[in-house]
Amino acid sequence: MPNAIVATELTKIYDVKVRDPGIRGALTALARPRYRQVRAVDNVSFAIERGDAVAFLGPNGAGKTTTLKMLTGLLFPSAGRAQVAGCNPWTGGNPFRQRIAFVLGNKQQLLWDLPPEETFRLNRAIYGVSLADYSARRAELVELLVLGDLIDKPARQLSLGERMKCELAAALLHQPEVLFLDEPTLGLDLEAQQTIRTFLGEYRQRHDATILLTSHYMADVTALASRVLIINRGRLLYDGELSELVARIAPIKRIELVLSEPVARARLEEYGTVAHYAPPRATLEVPRETATAASTRLLADLAVADLSIQDPPIEEVIRIAFGETEASTEPEVMRADVRRAPP
Amino acid sequence: MRSAFLIDLQYRASIAIWLVWGITEPIISLGIWWSIAAGGAVDGYTREAFARYFFGVALVNQATLSWDAWNIDRWIRGGEMNYRLTRPIAPIHEAVADNIAYKAPTAAIILAAWFVAAIFWPAVRIPFEPGRWTLAIIAIVLAAAIRFLNGYASGLLAFWTTRATALVELQFGLSLFLSGRIAPLSLLPPRVAHFAEYLWFPYVVSFPVEILTGAVTTRSQYARGFAWQIVWLVIWLLLYMLVWSRGRRHYGAVGG
Repeated sequence: MPNAIVATELTKIYDVKVRDPGIRGALTALARPRYRQVRAVDNVSFAIERGDAVAFLGPNGAGKTTTLKMLTGLLFPSAGRAQVAGCNPWTGGNPFRQRIAFVLGNKQQLLWDLPPEETFRLNRAIYGVSLADYSARRAELVELLVLGDLIDKPARQLSLGERMKCELAAALLHQPEVLFLDEPTLGLDLEAQQTIRTFLGEYRQRHDATILLTSHYMADVTALASRVLIINRGRLLYDGELSELVARIAPIKRIELVLSEPVARARLEEYGTVAHYAPPRATLEVPRETATAASTRLLADLAVADLSIQDPPIEEVIRIAFGETEASTEPEVMRADVRRAPP
Repeated sequence: MRSAFLIDLQYRASIAIWLVWGITEPIISLGIWWSIAAGGAVDGYTREAFARYFFGVALVNQATLSWDAWNIDRWIRGGEMNYRLTRPIAPIHEAVADNIAYKAPTAAIILAAWFVAAIFWPAVRIPFEPGRWTLAIIAIVLAAAIRFLNGYASGLLAFWTTRATALVELQFGLSLFLSGRIAPLSLLPPRVAHFAEYLWFPYVVSFPVEILTGAVTTRSQYARGFAWQIVWLVIWLLLYMLVWSRGRRHYGAVGG
């Protein structure tokens, strides 16, 4: 399989103005501005084969979105090279843009006051999609995303989930080879998240599309991507199978409890590790495979008002998995974790 | 184009308000000059001449005004530029469509209003001369293009500075006087009028208006006006291209 995305030593350095607080600081900054260099993305290399779905994970400000913006040609890198859908993102021009789609979960491109259908038509004109292709693709997207009559309502009247579905449809009418999705399920309810995950999986299979997505939801990652890239402080820390990552960290689930009667911390320790204890709330960490059994016992033994089982947040996964390397700044240590570097 | 028209249709009420705002300025100017000219012509301008002039200003200003800098500033600083840059079409196309969709109907409304006014008020009638009208239309189109590129290129400075619109507001203030929106340029102090001749301002409002009202008569006046229009069009086009290509590299892609 040829590579759809190749990033080689991508680096983005921002000059950030440094200003001391107060009026004096403001005046000094005005007279003699000082800049500090921030390496938002630092020497990141990876390759993604055509048809693969890869999740980009990392805490806020880790450099995920900046990398995506470089790969989509929005940002010019300070150093490094990239090839996306056979093109250079920064010099590929319109032929490159025809081959990609970039969907930002928190920014919309739908025409706000018009029904999504109008955005579809506009995109058909912009991307030069033939009428026959347009009709077929539109029908397919309406079916897969269960859009129904949503596309005839003004975008401003749609719910966040409905709007996101229409955003995706609008972004895919030109049938891009590579999809960049930045937090596609951000702020959506569970049902809408599920619809979008199912859709993306189905769409990728049908069209052999390559997907690189960022998300804060572990469920997005497990549903869509078998491979993950973990980035923190601009550096790629891990590139490999998701299952390997889960095996590598303590494979745990978190049980979040709201107790209706006080229960001593020691009592809770019988069921798992108490990660957080602030009555009436408590969080237990238990081995993944015993999570269901532990929950059943908790419900039977204690006065539980509410209980939910969750994956540890991505920040937590990264903290646990890389706790030992976090303090280190030696690039060699980091690079040792990267299994798939581009040729 | 279709989308831009449809969006404007959605905003019928706002557009009506902007239209009223747009013609308020020439109406106020006319009111002031009308009372000044009560005692007789001011530097050759009678009350009727002022009326014709400011009707012309209302039409030309409406057809050529530019709000693009504010839009672009918002796109860049709010992160809305991001998806526009990943589409295989330069964002300037959207701005052009937006301009045509707004200006064509609103300018037509002003033209119709002028026509109705001329039926009842002979002072604002202008002679029907197809040749002159054609030249006026060409001058208005060139003026609209200059003001558009001027506004668009200035707005793109938001790639570098967060105060791009301040620069545009400064130009807006200057243009009130130097483009002939407050008073015919011949009434400005001679030094100021002479200075303005070397800028683009007189050629984006005053020149097309004076073609319409008949103040431009000689072949050399036409040639001079159109030559300056083309010079400034080329200058702003080149500045737009320069700012666009440099700005893209400098872009921080904020938001999202």
